[in-house]
Amino acid sequence: METLFLFIATVAALLSVVATYLAIRARDMLSAVIFSAVQSTAYAIMFYIFMAPDIVLVYIPVSVGVLPAVTILLIKRTERYER
Amino acid sequence: MRTREVVIAVSVAAMVVLLAYAIEVGGLGPIAPQRIRDLAATYLINTYNPWNITLSSLSLEAVTAIVWDYRGIDTFFETSVLFVAIVGVTSLLRGFREKTGLSSAGLSEIVKTSTKVLAPLILVAGVAIALHGHLTPGGGFQGGSFIAVLFILLSVTFSLDYAISYGISSRKLLALRSGGLIGILVTSLALLIASLILGVNSYIFQNMAREGAPLSMPSWFLDRPTGGTLIWFNTFEALAVAAGISLAFLVLSLREEEVEEALGQVEWYE
Repeated sequence: METLFLFIATVAALLSVVATYLAIRARDMLSAVIFSAVQSTAYAIMFYIFMAPDIVLVYIPVSVGVLPAVTILLIKRTERYER
Repeated sequence: MRTREVVIAVSVAAMVVLLAYAIEVGGLGPIAPQRIRDLAATYLINTYNPWNITLSSLSLEAVTAIVWDYRGIDTFFETSVLFVAIVGVTSLLRGFREKTGLSSAGLSEIVKTSTKVLAPLILVAGVAIALHGHLTPGGGFQGGSFIAVLFILLSVTFSLDYAISYGISSRKLLALRSGGLIGILVTSLALLIASLILGVNSYIFQNMAREGAPLSMPSWFLDRPTGGTLIWFNTFEALAVAAGISLAFLVLSLREEEVEEALGQVEWYE
């Protein structure tokens, strides 16, 4: 059982690395926000497996809800594509 | 170009795996030990300890007990940082009033219907997390941000006009947020005021009786443990966070017409 949990944590960690890389590389700011949200989801899974449920409960609404909403508002006011 | 990016991504991932493996076998020094350290053991034993109430907070959740009881003043200042940031946002764009009839009617009917199904669930989850902060993982900040996400979701899917037409305005949210903060202040000073009346010693942020300070908050409501001050702190913090983050979103999402009016008002003041 513990091996399974560690395997899920490993998959989430790798997913977060890939999503972070894609978020940095993306020219379209909107897709960068979505990749960042994917990375946050992977982190939330890792926090849960490493037994920090308090952090999970604050991490999900802030990093998947509030932060993308505010960032998308910012992109709407400025430019969508990075030159 | 594509192959280069794939190579970089794979090598970064490989680095993470190798680092994790190195830490796992102890190659980068000792990792956290399996046994619980003395400090953690002290908190675990004393968080709910009805036999020695002067060390306990009578909360069933150690994290909330540490956050709002043992380290209460720390958390108070952490909360202040967030609220000072929100005060900054609102004072930057002060003097604007919400107008209706500016944005479109929201997203499609499918999205609206599924949001209608989801909205009460999110609300109930947020309130339960906030009010059960002293029993289960979670607390005021977590529950409050759930409710703020609900507000953001509704104002995106049903359009901001819909939220404003239901009577939500930045002034009301500011009043709610201030009410939550005043609630936190009153809760942290409640036992101090009571002790001044009764003529005994007490501390600020006091929850249960301590040595030389015999007063304690009521820790049971009927047959439910309330953790003394913890349930009040969690309730008021949830109120303040929900209203504060919703207010920040409302202010940041204001439309050009509203900004122009606010700017005109500033010129009028000058």
